[in-house]
Amino acid sequence: MSEKKTDGEILLDIRHLTHIFSFPKRVTVKAVNDVSFQIRRGEIFGLVGESGSGKSTIARCIMNIYRPCAGEIIYKGVNVCDLKQLRKNKRMLDTTRQLIFQDSSSSLNPRMKVCDIIEEPMRIQRTNPPRGSYRAEAEFQLYYVGMDASYLDKYPAELSGGQRQRVAIARALAMEPELLVADEPIASLDVSIQAQIVNLFRHLKKEHGFSFLFIAHDLSMVEFLCDRAGVMYKGELVETAPVKKLFENPQHPYTKRLLAAVPIPDPGRERARKGNRW
Amino acid sequence: MVKTAGRKFLELLLSIFFLSVIIFYIARLTPGDPLISYYGERVEKMSPEERERAEERLGLNSSVSNQYLRWLADAFHGEFGISYKYKMDVTEVIGERIGNTFILGGIGFLFIFGGSLLLGILCAWYEDRLPDHMICKMGTAVSCIPEFWLSLILILIFAVNLRWLPSSGAYTIGIKRSAADRILHLILPMTVVVAGHLWYYAYMIRNLILEEVRTDYVLLAKAKGLKKRRIMFRHCLRNTFPSYLSIMAVSVPHILGGTYIVETVFSYPGLGTLIYESARYKDYNLLMFLSLMSGALVILCNMAAQVLNERIDPRIKSENMGKAPEGIGL
Amino acid sequence: MSELLEVKNLSVSFSTSSGEVQAVRNVSFSLKAGEVLAVVGESGCGKSVLCKSIMKLLPSNAKIKQGSITVNGADITAYRERDMCRLRGKLFSMVFQDPMTALNPTMTVGAQIAEAVRVREPGISKTGLRDRVMQLMDLVGIDSPGERMEQYPYHFSGGMRQRSVMAIALAGNPRILFADEPTTALDVTIQAQILDLFRDIQKKLGTATVFVTHDFGVVAGVADRVAVMYAGKIVEIGTAEEIFYDARHPYTWGLMKSLPAFSKGQDTLYTIPGMPPTLVNPPKGDVFACRNEYALEIDYQEEPPMFRVTDTHYAATWLLDERAPKVVSPVGGIKV
Repeated sequence: MSEKKTDGEILLDIRHLTHIFSFPKRVTVKAVNDVSFQIRRGEIFGLVGESGSGKSTIARCIMNIYRPCAGEIIYKGVNVCDLKQLRKNKRMLDTTRQLIFQDSSSSLNPRMKVCDIIEEPMRIQRTNPPRGSYRAEAEFQLYYVGMDASYLDKYPAELSGGQRQRVAIARALAMEPELLVADEPIASLDVSIQAQIVNLFRHLKKEHGFSFLFIAHDLSMVEFLCDRAGVMYKGELVETAPVKKLFENPQHPYTKRLLAAVPIPDPGRERARKGNRW
Repeated sequence: MVKTAGRKFLELLLSIFFLSVIIFYIARLTPGDPLISYYGERVEKMSPEERERAEERLGLNSSVSNQYLRWLADAFHGEFGISYKYKMDVTEVIGERIGNTFILGGIGFLFIFGGSLLLGILCAWYEDRLPDHMICKMGTAVSCIPEFWLSLILILIFAVNLRWLPSSGAYTIGIKRSAADRILHLILPMTVVVAGHLWYYAYMIRNLILEEVRTDYVLLAKAKGLKKRRIMFRHCLRNTFPSYLSIMAVSVPHILGGTYIVETVFSYPGLGTLIYESARYKDYNLLMFLSLMSGALVILCNMAAQVLNERIDPRIKSENMGKAPEGIGL
Repeated sequence: MSELLEVKNLSVSFSTSSGEVQAVRNVSFSLKAGEVLAVVGESGCGKSVLCKSIMKLLPSNAKIKQGSITVNGADITAYRERDMCRLRGKLFSMVFQDPMTALNPTMTVGAQIAEAVRVREPGISKTGLRDRVMQLMDLVGIDSPGERMEQYPYHFSGGMRQRSVMAIALAGNPRILFADEPTTALDVTIQAQILDLFRDIQKKLGTATVFVTHDFGVVAGVADRVAVMYAGKIVEIGTAEEIFYDARHPYTWGLMKSLPAFSKGQDTLYTIPGMPPTLVNPPKGDVFACRNEYALEIDYQEEPPMFRVTDTHYAATWLLDERAPKVVSPVGGIKV
């Protein structure tokens, strides 16, 4: 993509992020509580935890969908929580950060064709298509995620779940982003399709140096895909470590519980550990 | 409880206040001459001085805002002014007719409410089978018939040819008033009112129920061995009620006030004609009172629906009580 | 007669605007009392339709085209809705995928369980009913049932709701339980708890279970036998050990190979090429042929029959024909 900086530079720095949801009658829920972590350029950072642990809230704070109550999110040196800086760098932020949702069947407009979906962000940002036309650009992005031009004029409903997710990824890639925030991108897909998407992510990272925030609850995929991972529990980040270390030597009791809960596709071993799980 | 009731009442007053401002200004901004309804044809021959005097008499000579303030001050004392056309207090004009409207529209509403519920359940029960198709087709056909035409046909058949029923009025003039007489007079207009609205609501409740029938919990209810009747009434119907009540609540004033054509054709002395005429002929005071009345009715009906909904669906209550809902995107 | 459920040559089709969708095609299997059969396959392969067609819970545009369903010795294929009502809840029951939508939001959880109890025991007394509901809630591991039964589903977390759904399913002491992806919508830790609960109940009540899932990890933990479905057909069926350690069908291999546990330390995960076919007009021959790297010529001509591997293990692939070239399985049990 554009000029590559050296690996290891910190792309996203989250410092003491706190987000509280408030409801009528002064009921509040602390969704994210004092979370800090960093994502380096060219790194896939996994965020795991059960539903309601605040993973998606972090993703939405990063994407400026929610305004965090406290803390800072520094993306490429810009504090995205600061409205002034946000306005000044809006274009850069809007193009280089992209979000991929879990359920592409509801996050893609069913009345738009695939080409329109992929072209839309380019049209909004009025980027000059390097490949001549927006359509050529859309075709290129589609090819990039492993689909051919014949899909350009189809509607999301005509695609399978995996293909829809690829279109969502292609749409995100069209802006040549540097950070992809993927909020449970594979949770609603079949195993064999999950593998395709995970392979695609790996490829994007290795060949093109994208950085990812990969939110998932499937630990085996996180182990396979991510470089580092953080474990969320009740709004707090209880453990952050390189994936290998996290899986081999978990420190926090919740991480241990999480790992113990992963089913192993082997009936012999699965039966052997019955009973002594908790 | 008292506190919420008080708050609700305050909300009601506030809404009606805003409503009165909006209607007052819009009514006066639209073209038309209010004097015509008071003086009739004479207005055209008036000299400018006469006209000025006439306007002063009706209180139409100052600015709209001043007029409004005066209206508001009077309204607080229970004075809503006179109707230009009837040259009586508006409350008196309305008082004469409101009973008729409530009898026609109110009983009609009950028929529509019950009838559409019945038809809707029937359709949903026999989904995609003969009774469903028949009711839906018939509804489409009847809804296509213009109300005035249907009225005329009914008059032609039952009043002119068969002479079973009276063709107009709310009661026979000249004989002692009796309930039987009233009912006879009501049958034809009521039929038209009910036939005009029934199908739409029946179709709506059919779709509401079918929406529920497709949910997972119905599948579970079936899987646990419940009979269709119990699933339909205990589960589906109960859960469609909140939406149905809200829709019906809004439709109360619609049905009550939307009887203009019927009232005209049957010469039935109700409010429908009054609403139409007051707007058409700039009978400002009458228009204000009628609009505010229907506005208050809408709000009251909505409140009633909300109270009922809270009793049926516990989730609504807990949301209103300020408990954090589950399943928010954390 | 030890077979509790016997399905023979069952075919189920949906009539849709785009044609007849053959969701289940010629499926035969049997289930013994107290046994857990896992049905595995990708979404849209007909595994969920299979369960619902046995319980006759499919929408009205679905039709059993051929085959028979025998439960407890009685052929129920032609049973009408009224007859099915008498069987549901008592003979078989079902647990669904999404616990968030499977409970009626406007009824207390206790009332919903009580409804299911009354189906089985219509004349039960008020206190008896209450005791039974408490006992069921206790069975599925819901703490302080006396308090919980007065609450509405929105007070419950996902895992608790799934437990409540299980209490409802078990209320009539069914002989067979259909579990349609019961843990897919849950978190890993909750999934583990629910799976433990399944095994517990299995041990206590001995309910035969058809467990539908797409997750081989879950299968390994619960299943005695496994059936792998592809495009509406059972392509391989056998005991859990046979399927996991000695799979014969290329599709089963593909599914296992695409698990991350299999590709540990490698650069990419294995993926099965291509896409499942549409079931409106399935292609001639073996529907898996176009995605099968081991496909033989005959795969494009003729559908393979079920070849016997052992008495319990069958697979529908021409690779098992004696004329076929010998292929060594790429998955000899997963080394984790």
